[in-house]
Amino acid sequence: MLSSLRARLLLWYTFILAAVIATFAGTVCYLFWRSLVADIDQGLRSSAAGFVQGLRPMASGEFDLVLPPEYRQTDGATAPLTFYAVWNREGELVDRSPGDFDIPRPAAAGTVTRDGRREVTVTGANGALVLIGRDLADARRDILAFAGTAAAGGLAALVLSLLGGWFLVGRALAPVARISQAATAMSAGDLTARIAVEHTDNELEQVALALNQAFDRLRLAVENERRFTADASHELRTPLATISAEIEWALSRDRSSEEYRRSFDTAQRAADRMRRVVERLLTLARADSADVALQRAPVGLAPVVNDALGIVQPLAEQKRVTIETRLREATVVGDRDRLTDLVTNLFSNAIQYNRAGGQVHVDVWPEGGEACLRVRDTGTGISADDLPRVFERFYRADKARTSHSGGAGLGLAIAKWIVEAHGGRIACHSTLGQGTEILVHLPRVV
Amino acid sequence: MRLLVVEDERDLAQTLRRALEEEEFAVDLAEDGEDALFKIRELPYDAVILDLMLPRLDGWALLQTARADGIRTPVLVLTARDMIDDRVRGLNLGADDYLTKPFALVELVARVRAMIRRAYGNPSSTVQLGGLAIDTAGRQVLRAGAPIELTAREFAILELLTRSRGSVVARSTICEHIYNEDTDVLSNVVDVHVAALRRKLGPGVIRTRRGEGYMIDA
Repeated sequence: MLSSLRARLLLWYTFILAAVIATFAGTVCYLFWRSLVADIDQGLRSSAAGFVQGLRPMASGEFDLVLPPEYRQTDGATAPLTFYAVWNREGELVDRSPGDFDIPRPAAAGTVTRDGRREVTVTGANGALVLIGRDLADARRDILAFAGTAAAGGLAALVLSLLGGWFLVGRALAPVARISQAATAMSAGDLTARIAVEHTDNELEQVALALNQAFDRLRLAVENERRFTADASHELRTPLATISAEIEWALSRDRSSEEYRRSFDTAQRAADRMRRVVERLLTLARADSADVALQRAPVGLAPVVNDALGIVQPLAEQKRVTIETRLREATVVGDRDRLTDLVTNLFSNAIQYNRAGGQVHVDVWPEGGEACLRVRDTGTGISADDLPRVFERFYRADKARTSHSGGAGLGLAIAKWIVEAHGGRIACHSTLGQGTEILVHLPRVV
Repeated sequence: MRLLVVEDERDLAQTLRRALEEEEFAVDLAEDGEDALFKIRELPYDAVILDLMLPRLDGWALLQTARADGIRTPVLVLTARDMIDDRVRGLNLGADDYLTKPFALVELVARVRAMIRRAYGNPSSTVQLGGLAIDTAGRQVLRAGAPIELTAREFAILELLTRSRGSVVARSTICEHIYNEDTDVLSNVVDVHVAALRRKLGPGVIRTRRGEGYMIDA
């Protein structure tokens, strides 16, 4: 494709250049011919003037002709370079150069080219018509020689500029070669392929820069996708491995009912964990494909918080975590079920990552055009390194605890999606050793 | 044979321990990478079963550090990560084998046994010892085609002495290879097992080196 682009550019270039050279050479040849003919015309005209002077008018209306000296020496064997003919008023030929060729009488005075000869006709005394002619063969030879030289010169110029053009087009297209190389490597799976950019001031290099940026984003997307798949597979395969190993163990020989019970317990826990992960993955998948229709109705945040409290109460009791609420009325437009999911997720995190006997503080208040929700825990907190990534899917600040508590690192990703689907924003602040605070702002109904 | 199972998923770790103990391995557990590294450095495991995604110190870093320390214990990587890149990376960092979750217990056990055999320099699962054929995969000893009944501990001691043929194995080493960390062992318990073993196998198979331990001649 590249070489054909180069060839095609060059073909057009050649075509245009050849047309320019041909036009130029043609014009020069034409002008040269014109000046040759003008010179000849001038010579013919002055000869004609000599003839006219040699016409002696007589009273009878006739005239006498005295030939200029140079016309007397013609031997008549060959067609002379210059020839003449004189007619009287009646159209009778009075005199002419010797020679074996016709000189037809012209109808009127003037200058014409006929049969490869240039002829000047003037009128003289008593209606005489004087024609002086000249053969143009030598002039034609001259002009052909000139045109031949011009054509050779033009051809040489064309070849030279073609070579130059091949080189220049090649240079101009070199970035295209680099771009295509990088793009090929990229599509072959080498995500690190980038186009080497030398000058940033030409258009193709700008294209290269833009493509490099696109490659960067593509690489990031692919890596995120890969990590997501690896994480999802880990979250699902681990409990599956537990179930299959447990069942294989239980079936490998006869077991006591106590042992069977324990195997079923283990398998059930693993299945529960798989179910939670699958549910959350499905939620996120639906969120990604944007086919979740959110209900849009006025919802009070305080009742939503109370609903969520009811859901997480058993977990809180189990971890001996107390939840303190300060709820003021703030109404948002949204989907009550989704908002309950959101608050439940935040509460579960605040309880699970809390210390035993810790507290969770929940505040809801209106602020300007926004409804605010704050969930604060007294847990171990999240390190500054982990903080920017807590809303990423499968990201877990501390895998040790979460894998026992059953979380898969999807809760905050889902929370973020719910908040953003409601046109709000969510932020996380944390101090290691003191606790974590999640702050949600949602547009409020005033 | 003593194994370390490094797995942060508690249920799976417990299942593995139960299953492997039934296969007559002594099994220790580690829940995170740092704990595992400490145990690998301190104890003479015959093999390690290692999950890669671990808290605190991940499996790759653990492998790399252990191998850099010159620890040659065979390692089977047991993980949900099944991409070829992950496997290659694990093997390049010094893993001896790779098994993807979910897995079959019988395959895991077979791979661990094969790995241990290779580590002791004998890839065959059956060892000939005088008139005895010791089948480490089938867990039985035959004399002239007739099986000799051994307890799990007795078999484990015989297996260990057979693998270390020609060199003396200390009582403490025997303890370390046949009991896990949760068992308190009286030092003469090994002597009791060896005495029973001698009675069953006949005299002259296991020799006592006073003050050093036991050995089987090469």
